[in-house]
Amino acid sequence: MSAQGLFLLALPGGHKDWFKSSKEFSTKLTKTPFVFICFQARIAFLQGERKGQENLKKDLVRRIKMLEYALKQERAKYHKLKYGTELNQGDLKMPTFESEETKDTEVPTVPQNSQLTWKQGRQLLRQYLQEVGYTDTILDVRSQRVRSLLGLSNSEPNGSVETKNLEQILNGGESPSSKQKGQEIKRNSGDVLETFNFLENADDSDEEEESDMIEDIAEGKEKHRINKKHKIGNEGLAADLTDDPDTEEALKEFDFLVTAEDGEGAGEARSSGDGTEWDKDDLSPATEVWDVDQGLISKLKEQYKKERKGKKGVKRVNRTKLHDMIADLGDDELPHIPSGIINQSRSPSSRMTDHEGARAEEAEPITFPSGGGKSFIMGSDDVLLSVLGLGDLADLTVTNDADYSYDLPANKDAFRKTWNPKYTLRSHFDGVRALAFHPVEPVLVTASEDHTLKLWNLQKTVPAKKSASLDVEPIYTFRAHIGPVLSLAISSNGEQCFSGGVDATIQWWNMPSPNVDPYDTYEPNVLAGTLIAHTDAVWGLAYSGIKNHLLSCSADGTIRLWNPPEKMPCICTYNGEKEHGIPTSVDFIGCDPAHMVTSFNTGSTVIYDLETSQSVVMLSSQIESGVQSNNHINRVVSHPTLPVTITAHEDRHIKFFDNKTGKMIHSMVAHLDAVTSLAVDPNGIYLMSGSHDCSIRLWNLDSKTCVQEITAHRKKLDESIYDVAFHPSKAYIASAGADALAKVFV
Amino acid sequence: MVMAEGTAVLRRNRPGTKAQDFYSWPDESFEEMDSTLAVQQYIQQNIRADCSNIDKILEPPEGQDEGVWKYEHLRQFCLELNGLAVKLQSECHPDTCTQMTATEQWIFLCAAHKTPKEVWIYFVKSCNFMGQHYRLSKVSIKESSVAKLGSVCRRIYRIFSHAYFHHRQIFDEYENETFLCHRFTKFVMKYNLMSKDNLIVPILEEEVQNSVAGESEA
Repeated sequence: MSAQGLFLLALPGGHKDWFKSSKEFSTKLTKTPFVFICFQARIAFLQGERKGQENLKKDLVRRIKMLEYALKQERAKYHKLKYGTELNQGDLKMPTFESEETKDTEVPTVPQNSQLTWKQGRQLLRQYLQEVGYTDTILDVRSQRVRSLLGLSNSEPNGSVETKNLEQILNGGESPSSKQKGQEIKRNSGDVLETFNFLENADDSDEEEESDMIEDIAEGKEKHRINKKHKIGNEGLAADLTDDPDTEEALKEFDFLVTAEDGEGAGEARSSGDGTEWDKDDLSPATEVWDVDQGLISKLKEQYKKERKGKKGVKRVNRTKLHDMIADLGDDELPHIPSGIINQSRSPSSRMTDHEGARAEEAEPITFPSGGGKSFIMGSDDVLLSVLGLGDLADLTVTNDADYSYDLPANKDAFRKTWNPKYTLRSHFDGVRALAFHPVEPVLVTASEDHTLKLWNLQKTVPAKKSASLDVEPIYTFRAHIGPVLSLAISSNGEQCFSGGVDATIQWWNMPSPNVDPYDTYEPNVLAGTLIAHTDAVWGLAYSGIKNHLLSCSADGTIRLWNPPEKMPCICTYNGEKEHGIPTSVDFIGCDPAHMVTSFNTGSTVIYDLETSQSVVMLSSQIESGVQSNNHINRVVSHPTLPVTITAHEDRHIKFFDNKTGKMIHSMVAHLDAVTSLAVDPNGIYLMSGSHDCSIRLWNLDSKTCVQEITAHRKKLDESIYDVAFHPSKAYIASAGADALAKVFV
Repeated sequence: MVMAEGTAVLRRNRPGTKAQDFYSWPDESFEEMDSTLAVQQYIQQNIRADCSNIDKILEPPEGQDEGVWKYEHLRQFCLELNGLAVKLQSECHPDTCTQMTATEQWIFLCAAHKTPKEVWIYFVKSCNFMGQHYRLSKVSIKESSVAKLGSVCRRIYRIFSHAYFHHRQIFDEYENETFLCHRFTKFVMKYNLMSKDNLIVPILEEEVQNSVAGESEA
């Protein structure tokens, strides 16, 4: 009977009436001892596990505190070196780990079965990060980058790195733009490196003396510095380098990470500078940082050593145990740590802002409004470059091995690569004025001054003699215009296209199949209709798939809105009195389909309400000069997702406007000659511009820096490039030139 | 839109230019044209100045490579034929003009298709040929390509003859605007790209004596 009582105790409460009668019980009892033993074993196991996890937690907290202390020390040293005054960091006392009690008070322990789960902790972190200005998108992108870095450099999931990263974010993550900021980040990432090495060693050999370990770290770091020095071109340090394989390994890691760091520094300099001058900013921050830090590191090393010796008594968990624990850690235990970390790391961050005062404020006013476009906020370049300094805690879990194999988005490479010419489209007899891609297919249409439009299928190529590029034969020629064709727009389903010509007409075409036989008979039904209302050359067209409306602007001074299938297709007319001059280009506003934007030859750009046909905002950029053509705007495009308008000017400028205020956000001399054409990639990250200086340039919209320049076309008279375009869904770009060629780059 | 503010003239048709202001800039002498497309620029400039002054248009500048000169002229013919083609397509459909004929005696067969097809095929083919060989025209043109110019000329001429005999009104309209067939006939005569027997459109009677071969049934 005592056996039965015991057994019942071991059973969960709900099952007390599991045995209706003692007879039944006796029959069951013969089978139960095994179950009972299993339960007991399980309990013991769980208890052991819990203990182990607690140990691990303590260990991690200790390490974090040490790192934080080291960071503070270094910061103070740095401050002293730089400003010659003591930095008041508040309580700069060494963290102590003598007794369990102190630790328990420092780190609020959460009961095992607390409702604060790991997920919630994570949520909390996200919230903090958002407060500092990090949206989920950025976090995601960055965490992916971090993960890929980790996956390469250290397959061991690592809790401290994660928390460290959080600290970084909280300390110095907010869009660093000043040089100082860059340095801060650098130092932080240096610490991360340290952590990396530290923990790797810990995993490698549990028997290893801790002091040795520190030696390794210090050496590694020193080597790192030396490495850096060499990179910068200074004299190398005295060589007390050993051939220790561990250090070697660490070095390799550092090498890998250093390059990324370099990039990061440059990236920051770049985003703060004005496009043209980032080259010279490139190296200086790095040089400074590493020069200043030199003496500091040895001191830090000493301190670290001393400290570690002091608390040698703390027993370290052995390696396998640690291993297992790490594997089990994620689900329930970790909330302790992040919550502790947040408390600790937030305070230094506020201190820092105190003593470094203006740093946060002096961050250059954001020249481009954020929000809206997700991927716009940070070009993938920058993500790559700055990821080390701004790792993501939220997604970098210690346990989730599966996440390490997470693939980066494929389109990252599509935009990171360099564009190379692939196809040459050479059937036009005169300048190609406009081109447009099919929304899905590798198909494009070109409009030329030779009175025709041509349809090209990039999959039907003819190998060109002695040249890497491929020639494409047109598969259809659209003829209806009497005179040069100037403008072109393809409907968003790719089934129709519209062309405007010097003959004042807009022709409406049904797109032939991309597989049409070029020698097939003439198809009269390709021409779907003609939109007649303008009285002079039609220079600009834009199509919106939202209401399937078409916008056109003409040298007659008017802008017209069309619903092509209607009997009276012209719905609305704007600028009927030529109030603003002659329109040169027109576009729908990407983020506000009720508005459109038009540029004028007078230098003004006007946003109209499509319904009321009233002008809503004037984006003015006129410069007082006697020469009218200097104010001439050649092209206007709207950002696909942000309330930003971009204009291309005859005076070589590209200008950016805020649609809400009408204020100019940014202006830059973008080319050596008149800028004629603009295109924004479908994700809103890159801008492409074409100019009569024969080149097309790709710009990072975030930093306003030129990422690639391609000389694409030759000059005819004083004109060279008329139009550029991004394929809406494939990795193609194209340019159209006065030399009668169109070129496609991949 | 001409910039005449004492600075260098920029020959540009900027967006917003009115149709009547197109190309409204002072002429440039051939020597001053420093772009690689100078020959085309020069030919177009002369045509814009006076398209009836065929002799001037066909007179190459001094030292001009003859192959390139002929080639660029043919390109220009193809370009301007687009204008004629647009007019023709309003009434020249496969069902009305099933065969690419000039007269009852002249039925043109497309070598690639065996069966008679309408005018556009020939035109498309000529255009493609010109397009494909464009890159040769940069400095000089290969002999083999020059030899092919003759066949392009014959193709182009079929369009003229078809238009003349079957769409006389359109042909006349266009000819009055552009003197294109006149220019073409003089061009092929000057450079001996086609035999006189084949020039069946009764233009330039004084030069094309044999053209009476075709009945004037149109």
